[in-house]
Parts: sequence; C-alpha cells; structure tokens
Amino acid sequence: MAETDPEPGPDGDAGGTRAPLSVPAQLVVAVGVAVAVVAATLHLAAAFLSVSPPNTLTKRHGAAIDDYVYPEFERVWKLFAPNPLQQNIAVQARAEIRTPDGGTATTGWRDLSAQDGAAIRHNPLPSHTQQNELRRAWEFYVGSHDAQERPQGARGDLSGQYIRRIVMLRFGREEDGGTVRRVQVRSATTPVAPPPWSDEKIDTKTVYRVLPWWTVTAEDLPGAMSR
Amino acid sequence: MNLPARLRTAAARGHARVTASALGPWQSAVVRIGFSFTWLLFLVREWPHRRELYGPDGPWNWDMAARLIDGNRAFTALMWSDSVVWFEIVYTLAIVSSALLLLGWRTRTMSVLFMIGVLSLQNRSIFVGDGGDNLVHLMAMYLVLTRCGRVWSLDARRAAREAERERPPRETTGVVLWAVTGSALLWAQLFTDARLFLTADGPLPGLGWATVLWGLWIVQAGWWFVRRHAPGEPRAVLDALANVAHNGALLVIMAEVCLLYASAGWYKIQGSRWQDGTALYYPLHLDYFSPWPALADVLAGSGTLVMVLTYGTVVAQVAFPFTLLNRRVKNAMLVLLMLEHLGIAVLLGLPFFSLAAIAADAVFLPTNFLRWAGARLGRARDRVTARAVRLPGQRARESDAESPAGTLVRPRTLRE
Repeated sequence: MAETDPEPGPDGDAGGTRAPLSVPAQLVVAVGVAVAVVAATLHLAAAFLSVSPPNTLTKRHGAAIDDYVYPEFERVWKLFAPNPLQQNIAVQARAEIRTPDGGTATTGWRDLSAQDGAAIRHNPLPSHTQQNELRRAWEFYVGSHDAQERPQGARGDLSGQYIRRIVMLRFGREEDGGTVRRVQVRSATTPVAPPPWSDEKIDTKTVYRVLPWWTVTAEDLPGAMSR
Repeated sequence: MNLPARLRTAAARGHARVTASALGPWQSAVVRIGFSFTWLLFLVREWPHRRELYGPDGPWNWDMAARLIDGNRAFTALMWSDSVVWFEIVYTLAIVSSALLLLGWRTRTMSVLFMIGVLSLQNRSIFVGDGGDNLVHLMAMYLVLTRCGRVWSLDARRAAREAERERPPRETTGVVLWAVTGSALLWAQLFTDARLFLTADGPLPGLGWATVLWGLWIVQAGWWFVRRHAPGEPRAVLDALANVAHNGALLVIMAEVCLLYASAGWYKIQGSRWQDGTALYYPLHLDYFSPWPALADVLAGSGTLVMVLTYGTVVAQVAFPFTLLNRRVKNAMLVLLMLEHLGIAVLLGLPFFSLAAIAADAVFLPTNFLRWAGARLGRARDRVTARAVRLPGQRARESDAESPAGTLVRPRTLRE
C-alpha cells in the first residue's frame, strides 16, 4: 500500500509547520481520531463477517451483523463461486387468448430469455433490461416459492406479480391477434455440455418447471398503477 | 527504546500522519473519476430504458417497490413521490451529479448528490442490479467521506487561483448550492413520506438519514463559516477532522477491495470446477453472458488455456491482499487484474461491472504512475485545445501550468 508507507525525509513534516494546537483543540482532534478508528474497525469487522461462511462469531452475533449490513452495506461478491452456473435457464411463456371471433386459443411457447440472448449478442453494452431483468426476476421467484409453486411470504407474492408483469410487458395486451386472458410461464433448464476435452458424461436434456396458469388482471398490465 | 515507548512513538507518529494530510490524493481522485464515469456511462446507456428499469410504471412498479421497502427500509428518493415528473428529475439529477463529480465541481456536495442518485435508483429496483451496481453502491457512500477533489478537479483549479488572492472569496455559488440543497431536503422532510429520521431507518444502526443529510449540510455551513471568519485554530481543527475522515474512508475502501478479492477467491477454491480447471468454460456458454460466441469458442477451444486462466483467476484473487506487502508484485498483480476485468467486460458482456472493478482496483495504483499519466493527459488536452482554439497567448500557455497535475493544491507529496 503505497499510500501508507512510512515516509522518511523532511517533507514528512510539511503538514506540521503550522502553529501547534491548543489543548482543547488537540482533544477534539484526538476524539475524532478515536471515533474514526473505532468506526473503521467495526465497519470492516462487519464487512468481513457478512461475507465469511457461517462461523462461531456469525452464529453468536448474526442478528447484529445483519442489522448493521442491511440494507445499504450488503455485498454480493460470490462471483461465479463456489462454482459458476453450469446451466442455461430460459424463461418461456404462452398465452390463452380470446380471438376476434369470440373463441379461445392457446399460443405457442415464446422463449423470452432467447430474446434477451439475441439482444445481448454482438452488443458491447448490454442493457440491464436484457441481462438482468428477467434473469434475476426468475431467481427471485424461485427463491421465494416452494416446489408446489406456493409463494413464501410477502416476497413470494411480489415475485409472482413481478414475473407476470414482465411477461405482459413483453407480450402486450394482444398476442397472436387476440386479447391475452391468461398466461402460463415455465422455465427450461439445459445443462451446459462438458468441454470437448473432458471425459465427463452428463445428461444435457432440458428440464421444465411449469407454473400454473395465471389470469391476467389489470395490475399485471404495463403502466397499471394499482391505486 | 523499550516496547511501550516504541508503541507510543508509533501511535504519535500515526496520529500526526492521519491528521496532517489527506493521504492518497491521486488515488482518491482516480476512484472518484472511475466510479462517477462508470455510473454516468451506465445512466446514459440506460436512458432509453430508464422508465422500464426505475420508473413508476416499470414491471417492478412503484407499489411493489413500496411494499418491499416497507420491509427492508432502504433509502430511495424515488419513493418520495410516485409522479413521473419526480422520477425524471431524480434520473436527470443523477446524471448531472455524476458528470459534475467526475469534473470535481463542488466535489463534496456532488458526492452527496451522487450517493443519493445511486441509492435512489438502485434501491428502487434492487432486482435489476448486479455485482457492478453493488460495488458502485458501496463506493458512492464511502466517497462522501473522502476529500477526493484535491487534485484533478475544477475545485483544485479554483483553489489554486484563490490561493493567489489575499481575501477568501465570497463563495456565492457555494452559498446558493447550500441554500438549494437545504430547501430540497426541507421539502422532503416536511412534505413527503420520506423516512428521514434521526436514529431509525438509516445507513447504520442508530444513525438515521435525517442525521446524515442534515449533518452533512450543517458541516458544509460550518466549513464555510470557519474558512471566512475563523481562519486560525478552528480551521486547523476542521481540516484535521476532514483528513481523519478521509483517511479512514480511504482505508475502508482499500480494505473492501481486498475483501472483495479474498472472498471471491476463497469461495472459488471450494468449487469443483475451479479445482478441475474448467470453471471458465461454463460462463462462456451461458446465453446471458455470451455477446461474442465466436470469440468465446476460440477461447474455450483450448483446454490448456481455459485451465491456465481458471487457475490464474483463483491465484490472483486469493493472493491479491498479500501482494500489497510488496510494491512491485502489487503493481504487477494490478495490471493482471485490470486486464482480466477488461476481458470480462468484452467476453461476458459485463462492461459496467468491469469498469467498476477497475475503478476500485485503481485505489492501489502507484502515485508516480498516476502523476505521470495525469501530466501526459494534461499535455494531450492542451495540445487539443491549442489546436482547436488557435488563440495564442490566451489558451496555449505553458503546458504544465494548465495541466491537471499542475492544478493541485499541493497536498503533501507522497513518495511511491
């Protein structure tokens, strides 16, 4: 750390040429230094314990650490660790529409993630709308629903509504020439095949997680404020 | 000397050092420039998508954000009103404050506005962010406590000019800016549902946003008053306290960068793919992270190359904090990490994440290099302006006098 190398030589005293401070002034500065030292130590200790694996100290002081770190000092740094994601997770959707002649029809599956992928391809500056919106919304949904697609707590309801609104934003009120009445979402998970030089064998078959049909309400439509 | 006496001397020397000057003026300036540039570029790039990402009618609409924030109590000015006009004002202010922080105009005030902009947009829609956003979020808060505008800034240029005058300037701009920000804060406090409390719902337990924002506002006034009316000891005390805050924040920034690499590396060691040397192969084959499939195929075509890069990444990340003990190794490692981030920017399509990471790495760049680069850039700029303006004697002064490196307020020089 270049900045904190002890500095020999005369210009180390450049800051000390002014008149020495009075005792009260020195006290104020000393208190300032003490506060800064304590604050920096506490802050870094909390930072360390918030990224460390669960351990003796986090078990004992977990609530205090969470209280300190959330919401503004959260760190999401486990980049591609412990293992990078090894599967392509695509979110797909289809709609049940009311056709102009009054009948009902079901559209084919539309691969919304593939559309994101196409927008990212050959794009030096991918937008968060392409790279993060749907991808992270799906992570949010999966993290707050159980295997029977039951929402877990308030976040579960929010994540379901978020997915519906993203789907409806991309579909629009009309799809395939009819008004969208219900939508169904599924994820298609395809493991990345092992590298060609590897002798590993894995099944690269796509696995689907199919969600129940959702009736589209006014709250799911783009631009709808629900108040 | 016995040990207690030595410790006392060391403590006294340390005390003098952290109070006497704001250390790492070029490093803190380059961090300021790096992060404000990253965020500015991001905001401009997302301009067409801004309403979808953060606007009241995006898929993560205002009501949903309000429900989530009721639980996590994060700070965002976008929840003060659900009108589109307010959203546009906040987004525009975020752009303007980033640009002005980049230039170092009224740096301290701009760093606060920059932080408000970053927190407001990111906390409004936390589910569209990624690791890069997270890094900007943290650094935006730390930068507020640093004196990051002492070099390479319009403030530094102004300070150099003022140093030649006898009386301190009237500071009309500063007073107006102070009055405007104070009125805006008062409006938020009195007429909106902003959760600006003294002790609750703040960035840290027991510290509310009202305390933080009004506190910073009062400190600005105190600073102005002392500069103008009490230039003796009060000024020296405030100066020392500002140095202490700066040095503490700079230490935290450096430690956070170490923690980032250490944790990223230590978790990777536990991963089977990082152990068998194929980890890098997989992200290159994810549809969300492959803007250049042909390029990724070339890289992923060689098992040896993938293995070397995979192991190299883990080694570099785990080793980084320890390389700081040796200046040469540290500098070599910085180059490697910055190159790796450039690679990630292109190959994985994560330019803003990579820019943020490079800006954070830059806090460890050697002073010599930064000053040399600053002087070169300054000369290049002078050549360009001289060619463009063609007014000899007015703009084309001696290059060094106008170059950024020449506009510093002469903080204590730190030898690398």
